[in-house]
Amino acid sequence: MDSWVRFNAQSQAKERLIRAAQYACMLLGYSLHRGGAAAELRATVSQLEAHMSLTRKLLRLGNSVEALEAAKRAIHLSDSVLRLCLTIGHLNRAMYFACDNILWAGKTGLISKVDQLKWSQRSFRYYLFALILNLTRDVYELHLLMEQEARSRNSKSPASPCGPPASDQLSCPSSPATPPTVVLPLMGAWLRRQLQLVRAVLYNNPPLLLDLLKNSCDIVIPLDRLGIYPLGAGFVGVCGLASSVLSIVTMIHPWLKLKP
Amino acid sequence: MDAFVKLTSQSQGKDRILRAMQNACALSMYLLRNRSERKELVAKLQSLQNSISSGRKLLRLGNAANSIEAAKRTVQLADKVLRLCLTAANINRALYLICDNALWAGKVGLVRSIDKERWSLNASRFYLFSVVLHLTRDVYATLQLMTLKSKDKCFKRRMDQHLSQDPEVAQAVIPQLDALLFLLWETLKCHPAVALDTLRNICDLFGPLDKLSIYHSNAGLVGFCGLISSLIGIVTVLQPTLRIAP
Repeated sequence: MDSWVRFNAQSQAKERLIRAAQYACMLLGYSLHRGGAAAELRATVSQLEAHMSLTRKLLRLGNSVEALEAAKRAIHLSDSVLRLCLTIGHLNRAMYFACDNILWAGKTGLISKVDQLKWSQRSFRYYLFALILNLTRDVYELHLLMEQEARSRNSKSPASPCGPPASDQLSCPSSPATPPTVVLPLMGAWLRRQLQLVRAVLYNNPPLLLDLLKNSCDIVIPLDRLGIYPLGAGFVGVCGLASSVLSIVTMIHPWLKLKP
Repeated sequence: MDAFVKLTSQSQGKDRILRAMQNACALSMYLLRNRSERKELVAKLQSLQNSISSGRKLLRLGNAANSIEAAKRTVQLADKVLRLCLTAANINRALYLICDNALWAGKVGLVRSIDKERWSLNASRFYLFSVVLHLTRDVYATLQLMTLKSKDKCFKRRMDQHLSQDPEVAQAVIPQLDALLFLLWETLKCHPAVALDTLRNICDLFGPLDKLSIYHSNAGLVGFCGLISSLIGIVTVLQPTLRIAP
């Protein structure tokens, strides 16, 4: 109960809970539609989903400022790739929130002539750019950690019993022309080694794993809504629900949040 | 900017901002009600108020647990009067929130057969009890502080100075009442947290009193008092020293 009270006191946590409920409603609506349930029940579920979406928009009214502040902090990072990705990511988020606020104003009737579709597409585009930058950051961190892991593995076992590593063979200029029957197994071995590295790095860095999973789930939503890669309401609902749950987990356990 | 971010990152802060907006809409609508050329604006304000109200109901969904936890904490207070007032206030607030959640479920369509009028009246009743109990606690705290202050030598000197300042006024007004009011004023000046909490609870009274038809005021007064109460709430979130303890 104590942890619920602390959790509940955070505004972002509530927004994530409502997001999880919203995507659960989307998923439920899809399964009811597939299962041929009564129109009244489907109408209730879709009305509930719309109500949650509007409330989340209301709750997000001040978030542009937060995103701009986060961008201001990210400019001072030492690593140039991280600095670029995070600053531009936060700026895109700020633009997404601004478009979202305009959509809210249109839906509540404050601004009468708001082209809902146009502004919705705009907001999803900014959201997509922000997610792409987040994923770029994740891949960059993964690459750095993989290099680190590879170096530590090489330093731990300098005389490998399995023969010289594939990179030596490929980089050696005086090696004879390798026939195709040798290249494929070599590539296979290299790929397996890379996958092993990825698995080891992600296993040892749960914050990175969670962030990667979250962003991968999140990117499905704008790809579907913008019509770039339509996947259907059911799959979008599952991905939205999964990313909300992962986000809630990182809030309950702050050590699981990827920093910076 | 920093203060704004700090405020909005807390759930309570955001809820109070939304409440302030809701009451500002109600007040504006009341002030513009007779202006026919502003009918469109009034309609927009009504729509905004409804949207904020339904959003806040959804946001209050888990808060009954918070109040029950607060009641569990206040049951352990040393002072008997504080223990009684605050625990009862927290329980009443939890009951008000449960009624509010039931109203949300009915509004959204999750529960079909709900007597909205009855649940709304019950919610207002519990809210009124909670505010009255908070106000009782404020009066008790003020009396305690006044008793403490009246024993302070430095204050006694200032009191004598004040009473002898304008002898004509002191003769015209009952000196004891004058002394009491001076003591009250000085106490509240030195303890702004108590003063703000008292003012906030007084403002919070008007809403449920109007809804329960105990004291009919108008929508404008309810909106204005609600706005003042929300602004005080925002100030106490920004400056935790101004929040009354416990």
